[in-house]
Amino acid sequence: MPSASLQVALHDLPDGALEAVVDLNFVQRSLLEALGFDTGKGEVCPQYDTGSGDVDYAVRKNSPNDIFLRTQSNPYLLIELKGRDVSLSEGSASYRRAVRQIKRYLLGSHCKTAQWGIITNSVHIQLFRKHRKVVHPATPCLAITVENIGQVIALVRDKIEQPVRALTLSVYNNKGGVGKTTTTVNLAAVLTLLGQEVLVVDCDPNQQDLTSSLGLPLSEGAVFQALTDRNVNLRTAIKPFSITYKALGKEFKFDVIPADKKFIDSVDEVQLRQQLKPDSLQRNLESLKSEYDYILIDAPPNWRIFSQLAVYAADVVLMPTKHNNLFSLENAALAMKEFIPEAQRAREDGRPVALPVFFNGERTTPSQIEAAQLAITNILKQAKKDGFDLMPHFFPRYTTTQKDLHIFEVPSYANIASAAFSRIPATYRDKTARDYYVALAKEYFLQ
Amino acid sequence: MSTFTDIGNLMYLYLDEIDPGEGTDAAEFLVKATAQQLKDAGGRNWVPTIVKETSKDRYEVVGNAFIYAVAEAAGLERVWCIVADDSEATAAITKTLSREAIPQINLSKASRDDIQAALQYLIEQPGSGLTGIKLPVATNRIDEAPRQYWKTLDPITNLKCGITKGKKLNALKQVFYVTPQPMPDVIKDPTVLQTLTAQELKKMAKKRELSGYNKLKKSDLVELLSQ
Repeated sequence: MPSASLQVALHDLPDGALEAVVDLNFVQRSLLEALGFDTGKGEVCPQYDTGSGDVDYAVRKNSPNDIFLRTQSNPYLLIELKGRDVSLSEGSASYRRAVRQIKRYLLGSHCKTAQWGIITNSVHIQLFRKHRKVVHPATPCLAITVENIGQVIALVRDKIEQPVRALTLSVYNNKGGVGKTTTTVNLAAVLTLLGQEVLVVDCDPNQQDLTSSLGLPLSEGAVFQALTDRNVNLRTAIKPFSITYKALGKEFKFDVIPADKKFIDSVDEVQLRQQLKPDSLQRNLESLKSEYDYILIDAPPNWRIFSQLAVYAADVVLMPTKHNNLFSLENAALAMKEFIPEAQRAREDGRPVALPVFFNGERTTPSQIEAAQLAITNILKQAKKDGFDLMPHFFPRYTTTQKDLHIFEVPSYANIASAAFSRIPATYRDKTARDYYVALAKEYFLQ
Repeated sequence: MSTFTDIGNLMYLYLDEIDPGEGTDAAEFLVKATAQQLKDAGGRNWVPTIVKETSKDRYEVVGNAFIYAVAEAAGLERVWCIVADDSEATAAITKTLSREAIPQINLSKASRDDIQAALQYLIEQPGSGLTGIKLPVATNRIDEAPRQYWKTLDPITNLKCGITKGKKLNALKQVFYVTPQPMPDVIKDPTVLQTLTAQELKKMAKKRELSGYNKLKKSDLVELLSQ
């Protein structure tokens, strides 16, 4: 029984075991087998060249006529191993280094098919999921003990054996007017254009901007029903949006869950909270995740019930900001320091995580960018005092050797803003707008 | 290579034994002011210039020519050098490493991220003439174009991304080169066909001996050829 063998292997490991010892006596002796991979049959490849450095192990189930060790193609899971002398407790510098390392490997050019990454030193273990270009935690960083190891490894194995198709993305900023709805609509449109199946959720019943910008009618209680009654499926609230893109002479479709009128009538948040649980939206989306590649949620600009539902339901949170609006940057930092960790603690599966911010919809000049960089540097300093490393969320390209402060921008463009009047995403009307959002989609999501 | 080779060694060579090679294009101020600082700091160039041996006791600078110019301006008799081998590739990488040359990438095969990084670098260079080019637009259109078949960079000027013949295109030639694949006679993938011009599509239809293509619009040509 693998659980017993794991326990024995872990029990026998000396306290300060170095990587080679952990490798031989824990990983090779029992972990790989407990995760469901057979070394003897050639499902395990050590020192695998990811295209961005060698990872300790790459593994994949064999298919007929394709022994992984022989072809070394299409790895499924990568494992980066550390010794017990390297701390992987969350927040330590060596933990952050290991996380950066597994992310880099997962995004390596030979690992396009890889869907999972594990970091472990036999004291801690954490599973990461890769969805095209996005890598996010799939579990918190879990402490392993002789008592719980069977359960912990079973949990990890369960996840890697049941991959989820969709990436759930909330577009959120506590500050209003930064272009959340515009981003959501155009991102959905462009992902559809690039061949992805997309579902959009308008989670802002007070403004309903997304629903009306697509010219769709509001829901008449279907969303309310699904979120409050366990016998009603959210599927009933889905409305198709379709449009023929003139330049390509093709029809494009994505699905929308419109804002629900019923929520506007019951403005009293206390009453709503009696019927809605923090995970109401997340649980309802669960059954739809096998049908879409992307589920995009447009969240309202506050931290009240609908934003909480939206952020709680997300794997990753995308935050548009404005380079010339300090509040949009400070609010993004606030969400990273308080709201998102709060949701993470409640979900207990390492999610949601914030993606790097981007500057949305304004013309920028070099001196303005410089001013914004200065403002962000101050925000980062303040966050560091509070114990948060927000550097990767604001300056994702900055490393100890490359002082690169570029932040991704979606520039201003009159046609993007005016598109709302025609009830058609700008991406479908205008080639330049399409280029901007293709750039956004490829920067963040598509490999 | 004999045992008595200096390749790879740090050596303290006489300036008059070294041919300056192509020299540096650094401004006079930089050379003179650095020379003064070097003298004040004791006259030892801790960063070496890179030379190759051309004959006995004769050398030529292949990289870090700035150091040589500074040593000369400072009136030094000898300068610390690293002796490199005399291959072309060594000379090229040495110039790039010492920031005297810009590295080039192969546009026929480059990834989207690499194209974007190269364009961003150019746009941010003062005087590159590319200010005003929209990075996402240019990246996207170049990435999606059938660049694996391009024999030169000229087709970029047809992409309507603001890059025109002359200064702008020349700036791109600094960072991109191409190693084209031959254009196959038969392409059926509509996404690739879509990126060709109507003229190229008609040429292709002619080669495949299809009829009635002459009056077709581009979208119809794509449909015809993708069958």
